[in-house]
Amino acid sequence: MLLRLDDVQRHFGGVRAVDGVSLEVEKGSIQGLIGPNGAGKTTLVNVVTGYTRIQAGRAWLENDELTGLAAHRIAGLGIGRTFQNIRLFKDLSAVENVLIGMHVRRRDDTLAQLGTLPFFRREEKNRVEEAYSLLERVRLPRSVGERHAGTLPYGDQRRLEIARALGLKPRLLILDEPAAGMNPSEKQGVRELIEGLNAGGLTVLLIDHDMRLVMGVCRRVAVLNFGKKIADGTPEEVSTDATVIKAYLGTGGEREVHSAPGATGVDEEHEVEEAVASSRAAKEPEKAILDVEELTVSYGAIVAVRGVSFRVAAGEIVALIGANGAGKSTILNTLSGLIRPQSGTAIFDGLDLVNAKASAIVRRGLVQVPEGREILARQTVLENLELATWTRRDGASGRRRIDEVLKRFPILGERRDLSAGSLSGGEQQMLAIARGLLARPRLLLLDEPSLGLAPQMVDEVFRAIGEIHEDGTTILLVEQNALRALAIADRAYVIETGRILLSGSGDDLLHNPAVRRAYLGG
Amino acid sequence: MDFFISLFSDPVGFWNSHTLLISQIGINGIVATSMFLVLYSGQLSLAAPGFMAIGAYTSVLMDLYLHTPLFLNVVVGVLLAGVVGVLVGLPVLRLRGVFLAIATIGFIEALRLGVVLNLPVTGEGLGLKNPNADPLGGVPIILVSLVVVLFIVWRLTKGRLGSAWSAIRQDEIAALSQGIYVARYKMIAFVLGALIASYAGALEAHLNFFVDPGDNQYGVTRAVQILTFAVLGGSGYVLGPVVGASLVTLFPYIFSSAGDYINVITGIFLIAVIVFRPQGIVGRGGFAIVRPAWWPRARLSAPSPG
Repeated sequence: MLLRLDDVQRHFGGVRAVDGVSLEVEKGSIQGLIGPNGAGKTTLVNVVTGYTRIQAGRAWLENDELTGLAAHRIAGLGIGRTFQNIRLFKDLSAVENVLIGMHVRRRDDTLAQLGTLPFFRREEKNRVEEAYSLLERVRLPRSVGERHAGTLPYGDQRRLEIARALGLKPRLLILDEPAAGMNPSEKQGVRELIEGLNAGGLTVLLIDHDMRLVMGVCRRVAVLNFGKKIADGTPEEVSTDATVIKAYLGTGGEREVHSAPGATGVDEEHEVEEAVASSRAAKEPEKAILDVEELTVSYGAIVAVRGVSFRVAAGEIVALIGANGAGKSTILNTLSGLIRPQSGTAIFDGLDLVNAKASAIVRRGLVQVPEGREILARQTVLENLELATWTRRDGASGRRRIDEVLKRFPILGERRDLSAGSLSGGEQQMLAIARGLLARPRLLLLDEPSLGLAPQMVDEVFRAIGEIHEDGTTILLVEQNALRALAIADRAYVIETGRILLSGSGDDLLHNPAVRRAYLGG
Repeated sequence: MDFFISLFSDPVGFWNSHTLLISQIGINGIVATSMFLVLYSGQLSLAAPGFMAIGAYTSVLMDLYLHTPLFLNVVVGVLLAGVVGVLVGLPVLRLRGVFLAIATIGFIEALRLGVVLNLPVTGEGLGLKNPNADPLGGVPIILVSLVVVLFIVWRLTKGRLGSAWSAIRQDEIAALSQGIYVARYKMIAFVLGALIASYAGALEAHLNFFVDPGDNQYGVTRAVQILTFAVLGGSGYVLGPVVGASLVTLFPYIFSSAGDYINVITGIFLIAVIVFRPQGIVGRGGFAIVRPAWWPRARLSAPSPG
């Protein structure tokens, strides 16, 4: 065994980010590590690499114990890593980035530099040559070497970060979402790169949300959920494991888990295709309160949303579901005027969302409850709500409105004078929704309202969503917890890598094997 | 303008009549190089005047009371500053950015107000007479020192040490992942900076017959002036801060007719550099315009496909 973790724990306050994980990575293998958003994958990587202190348990790299070592020592022992949000030395050239990666292997030349002896000149030359060969190993052309890392295209930056990690001559390479934000052909390139490195004898620990990549490239896959390992095995074993499917797709409330699409092992490609074909015909409403046409949104070189069109009629609950990184939140942020699209149109009740100011959009009645809640943790519950009525500049009616909202969420009324940060995750979500309601929405955008919540709290949040809908508010819901979202939604769109894969009524999709494919690959 | 006319029409006379000015440029250049080193490793430390004070007072006091040779006095002053640098660095270098700046200001103010202005031996704020000063003879030593310091620092930035500093400056987290012992390399830069600054301080103290404990000598004003050297000249290359130091030191002479308004001129010049050449006078690239966040941005209307 190359890497061995024994009952590793890391808690942040009351959050058990990594809660007793044991894991073994075999030498020469490609090990996958997957799990829904907030499962603790990145925390586990940070614990292994020394960025976050381990609280209990032990870790070894072959015979070297890693427990309690500082990050630079662990890197020196031979664990190279990349970062989820690329961390290159942006103002240095690509070659300089790789040269810094070779730091631990470089002889200290402080005094020699003062004399600039020819011997060291030669060594310098060899080093630069090796750096270029590492660039070639990740299939970056030599011409890239002189360019500033920050100016490289996104995919090349990912590769450069891998080359820099290879500079360590690592025994284990940890890749944290190397394919995030890439299109299918770039992903194929990443896959070939990982396989090529592995063929050269390198052990790889791969964390990614793209199931097709992980399932395709890894020999073994471990699954985390709520900080615990819930499965570990071959890709086939893991992708048909009922616990895993439940963790990814969520539970449908009253509906039983075994009705989850694919839980019984549906895997045949044609069946999926048929399902896709049949549900594409799903009817769209004639009269829409929100009409989105061919929306395309990019972050620099990364295209997050690729020509998405959908409609929402007044009084509906419409869900956008899909795996992490599919582009769901980007769509909502674009509708709220927080991000400007590259092309396409979005009309809400006659208002052109593409060009309107975010504040004007809210005044028209389109209100977003953001992912991760974004409440003011140090203010009290009441202060959080009062701030939301600020724009109305009408004390009396604002007060009345707060009372109404507190009546809907009695638990918030009980805790009105507590600081918002001391509430449980579910209560914080309620507060975020309550704050959204104060803006008198006609269309409420909910981004991942069940994120990181225990199942019981998820029930409560969804009950509240149902009640708000019954009061006549139209809802556009973004969820990873697909089954739960489908159970409540009138219609839903399944999004995969920035495109609408299929759409249909909530009930239809609930039993559609293609939904499972979108989440778990296949 | 007289300044430039005499510079070109009578260089020898200029040299003789402006010896003190040239010495001051050299000293500010050395301090600026100390600032460069610290900034190069990504630390916004304003501690340099404190170390200058240590170098200055140690060497002058040794001269007054022990009558030891100048060379030894300077060496002891520099070494003492190095020791203090380690002691101050241990707690302070855990901080980053503006917090480090504030902590180092705390250090220089504690040293100046708490120690220098309170001890009888340092003159308790009245300053210290230094009868053995040599205002004119120091020029060659200072200029040679500047060149040597520049060379050493330039070579260090090219070696393993320098590449580690670059990495830390750009991204400490990523530097750790490459096995770079961030805390140690930051400490090395901080202490080297302290050594260089205290050396400059010791030299400076021997230019004047009087060691002035004022704010614009060893306090925040001086710290800000040294930071200005780096911002104006650019902190991407070793020569940048030296160029900045020369300009700032020369300004009162170039614009001698401005009188009391000299700070206004310096300020306008600094703002112009920051806006049009954010990388400093010495640096890659041409002119740019840094747009303030509140300045309206030209709206890009995306072409619609049909």
